[in-house]
Order: sequence, then C-alpha cells, then structure tokens
Amino acid sequence: MLKFALAGNPNSGKTTLFNSLTGSTAHVGNWPGVTVDKKEGVYKKLSAPVSIVDLPGIYSLSPYTPEEVISRNFILDEKPDCVINIVDATNLERNLYLTTQIMEIDVPMVIALNMIDVVEKSGGKIDAKSLEKRIGVPVVEISALKDEGIKELMERAYAAAQKKREGATVLKESRLSHVIDDVKIALKGKGVENPLFHAIKLTEGDELEVGAHPDEMQMVEDFKKQFSDDVFEGDFEAMVADARYKYISANFSQAVTNKEKSDKLTKSDKADRVLTHRIWGIPIFIVILFAIFHLTFGEDLLYLNAIFGFAKDVSTGNEVLDAFVAVFYSSAGISTPGAILFNLMGFITDQLGGLIATGLENAGAAVWAQGLVNDGIWGGVAGVLSFVPQILVLFLFISILEDSGYMARVAFILDRAFRKFGLSGRAFIPMIMGFGCSVPAAVNTRTLADEKERIMTNRVIPFFTCGAKAPILAAVCGGIAAHFTNLPVSADLLVFCLYLFGMVMAVIMVMFMRQTSMRGEVAPFIMELPAYHAPQFRNLMAHLWDKLKHYIKKAFTIILASSIVIWFLSNFNWEWECLTVAEDEISRMNESILHDIGTFFMWICTPMGFGLQLGQYGWVFVVAAVTGLIAKENVISTFYVLAGAIGVGVLGVAGEDGESGIGVIAAFLASEDVGITWQGLIAFCVFNMLTVPCFAAAATVRAELPKGKFRWTVAFWLITSFLTSTAIYLMFTWWWTAFIVAALIALVVAYFVLRNKGKIDFGKKKKALKE
Amino acid sequence: MLYGLLSAAGTVISVIIAVVAVGIVVMALVLHFVRKKQGKTGCGCDCSGCAGCTACRPEKSEKKDEK
Repeated sequence: MLKFALAGNPNSGKTTLFNSLTGSTAHVGNWPGVTVDKKEGVYKKLSAPVSIVDLPGIYSLSPYTPEEVISRNFILDEKPDCVINIVDATNLERNLYLTTQIMEIDVPMVIALNMIDVVEKSGGKIDAKSLEKRIGVPVVEISALKDEGIKELMERAYAAAQKKREGATVLKESRLSHVIDDVKIALKGKGVENPLFHAIKLTEGDELEVGAHPDEMQMVEDFKKQFSDDVFEGDFEAMVADARYKYISANFSQAVTNKEKSDKLTKSDKADRVLTHRIWGIPIFIVILFAIFHLTFGEDLLYLNAIFGFAKDVSTGNEVLDAFVAVFYSSAGISTPGAILFNLMGFITDQLGGLIATGLENAGAAVWAQGLVNDGIWGGVAGVLSFVPQILVLFLFISILEDSGYMARVAFILDRAFRKFGLSGRAFIPMIMGFGCSVPAAVNTRTLADEKERIMTNRVIPFFTCGAKAPILAAVCGGIAAHFTNLPVSADLLVFCLYLFGMVMAVIMVMFMRQTSMRGEVAPFIMELPAYHAPQFRNLMAHLWDKLKHYIKKAFTIILASSIVIWFLSNFNWEWECLTVAEDEISRMNESILHDIGTFFMWICTPMGFGLQLGQYGWVFVVAAVTGLIAKENVISTFYVLAGAIGVGVLGVAGEDGESGIGVIAAFLASEDVGITWQGLIAFCVFNMLTVPCFAAAATVRAELPKGKFRWTVAFWLITSFLTSTAIYLMFTWWWTAFIVAALIALVVAYFVLRNKGKIDFGKKKKALKE
Repeated sequence: MLYGLLSAAGTVISVIIAVVAVGIVVMALVLHFVRKKQGKTGCGCDCSGCAGCTACRPEKSEKKDEK
C-alpha cells in the first residue's frame, strides 16, 4: 500500500485534512500543537487504498521538541511515497519556509494550499499555477474544513508518487552553495540517502547531523575559516534561513495578490484588543469560566430567583408529572441547561431504578440479589451516568473555546501574568487540556522544549480538574447546596471556586518548584495566535461523541466491575457470610471486609476531616478516595453503592435530587451515623483534586517523565494533597488556624527568599572554603 | 405448589444475577489484560480520538516502526 505523509506548520489544518481523508475523528483544535504523535488512517477513494500518516506540526526540519523529531524522522527514515505539504494559504510566506526544506529531500511531494477560501473571502488571491511553476512541484488549492479540492489533491499526489523525485534547493544563489555542493558530493559518494538535505543541514551545523557525519563537518569547518561575513559573523544557520526567506519573498510571494492593506483592524484584532487586554484579559477569562460553570452546574438561571424570589415547587397531585416539571422549574428557580439535562437524566434513572427494584421484589429474588442489583450494579452505574449530561455541557463550552481560538489567547495572557513566577504560557496549553483528561494533557507536555518545565507541568496537570473528577465536585457542591437550603450557597459558585483553586494551586506549586528543585530560566514563549473563527459543528460533535463514548464505555466496564466488587466487599464479612439485609432492617455493613479495610486507614485521613472524627459509617470516605485511584468516577459510584447498603435514607433526604450523587451527599451530611461536615467534604474534594490521579493518567505521566522522577512525583502529589486538604479543613473549621497556616507559609517563603539571596546557607560556604 | 414455583423462580433469578455479576467482573479484568497485550492504553479512551494515541505505549510503536 502506498504511504502518504501529511506535513506542515502547526495549526495549518493537517488533522482536519486527515479526518476528511480517512473518516477519522482525531482531535482537532484551533491552536498550534494539538497533534503530538503520528496517526495512521486509510484513504480508499483512489484506485488502490493509500495509507495516510498525520504528523505533528513543525516550523522547520531543525527540530527542538520530541514531537518535532517524530515528523523529521518519519519523512527522512520511513520514506513515504509522497509528502503532502499542507500550507496555510493565509500565511504563505512563513509556511513556505518548511516547503523549501522538504523540497531538498528525495521524496515526491505535493503542496496543498489549505484555507484558500479564507484568502478569497478576505479579498486576496493566490495564483496556484504560477506558484507550481516557480516551486516545481504540484500545487493544489484546498479547503480541508469544507472538503473542497481534496479529490484533486489525492489524485495529483497519487500521480506524483509514481515517479521518483530528486531533491532541489532554493539556495543555489546563496554564498554557501559551493560548500553545500562539495559536501553533497562527498555524502553521495558514501551512499548517504538524501545527500542534498544532509549537506545543507551540516552546513547549518545541525547537531543531529554533526554527530552523524564528522568527516564532512570538517569540510564545512575548513570553509568557515576562509569565509568572511560582516552581517552574520559566520552563523551559517542564520545565513541559510535568510537566504530561504529572501528567495521565498523574491520568487514565490509574487504569486500572491493581497487586498490593499488598510489601517482598519480585522475582527480578530478587535476581539484581541479586549480579550487579551493587559489588565482585563485575566478577569475576562475568569468571567467566561464562571459563566460556563453557571450554565453547567447552576440551578437558578442567571440567579433570577435569588434576585426576584418568584420560584416555588409545582404540585399537581401527580408525582411523576411533578418530578418532570421539577426538571425545568423548581423552588430553586429556572434550571440552567446543564441542570435541565442533569435533572432529566436523574428523572430517567430514578424511574428505571424504581422499575428494576419493583420487578426484582415481585419476582421473588433473594434480598442479597436485590441489594446487588439495586445498590451494586444499578446504583454504581446510575450514580455516574447521572452526571454525563453535565460533563457533556461542560465539554461543549470548552470545545467552543478551543475551536474558536480563544484557548490559545488564554495561554498568551497567562504567560504575561505568570512568566515572572517561572511559568511560561506554552505550559498552560497542556494544563488547560487537563480539564478534559490528564492522559492526552500529559502526552502534550512533549511540546515543551525545556525538560524542567516538562516535569513541573506533568506534576501539576492533575490539579486541573478533569472530566472524571467533575462528578465529585458536582455531587459534593450540589449536596452542600441542597443541605444548606437556608444559606446563600450555590453549587455552581462552589464548583467554580474549586476549579479555580486547582489552577491557583498549580501556579503556586510551579513557583515553589522553581525556587527549589527546578530552578532555572523560563523558556521563551513564542506562539502564533490563530485567527478567531466560528466553532465547527462537526468538530464540536466529534469532541462530544468521543467524550460520551469514553464515559459510557467506562461506566459499563471498569466502574460497573468496581461497583460490584465494592458491593461484595461491603456485604460480606471475613467468614464469607452475607450481610445484606432487607430495607427495614438495621444494616450490618459495619461487620464487612470493606469496613475493616476502611477503618484501618481512617487515622491517615483524620487531619483532613474525613477520618476518625466521623461516625460509625465515616470509613466510606476513605474507601471512596482509594477506589478513585482506579478511575475518579469510582468515588461517586462507591458513595452510592455504600449509601444504599448503609441505608441512610437517600430518597428521603435528597428530595428532588432523587437517587443522584447529589442526593447521596446531602444524605451523608444529614446522617449522624456518617458524621461528615461541609468542611470535611470540601477537604475531601481538594484531596481528590490534588492527589495521585487515576492509574491511566499516572502511567502516562510516568512515561513522559525522565527516569527516576516518577516516584518523586507520586510523593509530591501525596504530600501536596495531604497538606493542602488538612490546611483547608483546619481553616474552615477553626478560623483562627488560618493565622498559623499563614505564618507557616510565610516562614517557608522567607526561607527561600533569603536562601536565594545567599543569606542562608547553613554553613555550606564555610565547608566549601575549607575544602 | 404456586408458592413453590415462585420461590424456585426467585432462586433462579438470584443465581442468574450472581453469575452475571461475576461475569462482568471477570470480563472487565480479561478485557483489561487483552487491551494491554494488544498494546492499547489503559485509559479507556478510544485511540481514534486521541492526539497522542501511540504515545501511551511508546515501546510498542517503536517496535512497529522497526518492523
């Protein structure tokens, strides 16, 4: 099968083209660096199927980051039958820089002028035929987003792949052409493949080439000794880059007709004046984030009920009808879109749960079998599934921000604010990706060139609450709001504060690491800000579909299995005697295996507010925190399974929240047998947010870190989560402990400030002098 | 007799529930190990939608490259 590689600058639309060609739904985003590894698919619309390889974006073939190495090595070593060079037509000159480098390799190539529709819309024009003549390789106008020109592109690529092509360079007129020719002949004599490309790279002094061809490098060095140049002072790499741009400007740019430039700002520029404002940029970001959380987790749309106080429960006398109306409108107010979907899902799961329970009872199933299905199987899964709509709404908003190009701006405005504290804006991109899932976020850290920055970012990614942790926050905050109905506490505000707290903790911990184990300069941050565009419906739906598939798959595999195991351990004792009791009997769960395991570890959680100070069923929090290590969704499913077994009267206390996770938390708060306080619950959330992530995320972080760093990372997660949630619990329970915590933090800060100024050295200087 | 039949049906349902529950746990475990053997990730995500799909198992993708 023929193999075509898609290569081009970051954010030029390679993955959009890849999806269009192969029918895949690979993640695309309107910011550079979405793809970090090659992906393969098959195009079947030609006479024979063709393998398509989507490569990470690169600006040149002189790679600096691991994912750039992947692209370069693939083109050079894997010898694709054709390279389809995707060129962003709206930024032709800069994109053609890479083209001039790929041209030097002995590989057939075709140029795809992507986003040609955007160029035409803005009044510009590119003469593709003229460009083709000047470059000497086929040029096809396409719009990957609109599926235009794709067929022609593939046909021309297929035709190009049938012929051999020898590398050609635009550096013939350059002052370095002699040495390039000499080195090329020498390399060719040795049988080196792609001699022209390697000769130019050697002349540039590319580190990878110098090691591979030391003899030829000597030729370059000898040439350098005789060479004199006032402008570049012997910097051949700069000379080559300059020669390329000069050639592009003199020859290729003539094929472009731009609309006459006016002083008027583009729509993107106007939006950037506000959204990336030096002072208002961050507050605007926080407001946007809050709006998202309000529309996702809020129960009172735009706080209309809090302001006007008009809402009350509807009572028609028909229970089912009342429950259905409460989905949209209740005493809390008019529901937000997220709340409507959440209530609707709760309504459905309640009705289904009721049907299952009645069916089993009528069928005469044993009490233990009823408990296993109602609490273990249905309870665990329904508890997690009830949050799926809210998670999808949250991701819809995040995808809109990503696709519109705003996320790239967030990295930019955060860079400006946090650079002085040791954090570059580039590192914020994987962190923001962490809102979705820590796994791809950790993988994305390989776009960071600085190793220390990569380690720090990997360590703090789990602090950005992922989709799996969102149900914990939603359940706990919703439960607190449902329990304290008299207080002005809203679930959306609490969830927002916790999300924000995670981000603040990430920044604080990076600053801390910069002052201790990860000292060094902050890597420079250069990022092209993509133009804003309306989010693509297809992309948004693809993102949501992936998320939904992921959730459902997890709910019916790992979460379901975990719920059954938890039910088993909480309903059997060490003598394998079943402890399940009928609804009206007193629970015997405190004789279970799980009770003994949970109780054994309770002392560790005592400082955090969910340990020995709780009631006889307080151990469920320890168990939930541990099961969260498998998958964070397990925390909620564990609560539900155990709540059912404890018999805390979930339905009675939860009221309209029915059997959802929110109802369980509200029931826990009301139950003296559990004895949890809201302070303990907040500390529990914080612990889950900052501690070791799920197994999958931890394994990915391990793969991304240098050898020996993972165990320190695990220690970092455990210590940070323990100390932070302890501090949170203490401060919220006894306000005056805030002074002690503040004093301790001040001491630590003072120590590092003085140490960095050289005023504290604990006798190290004397020791050094003696030596 | 009717009572006996109902009781037997209840027992059969209970046994089926137990078997299905054990089956689910065993299948989840088997699926996990099969996926691991196939070189797929443990994150549960669908690789087709992930930008870093081959990154989770770098040693596998390298082996593939060598072939």
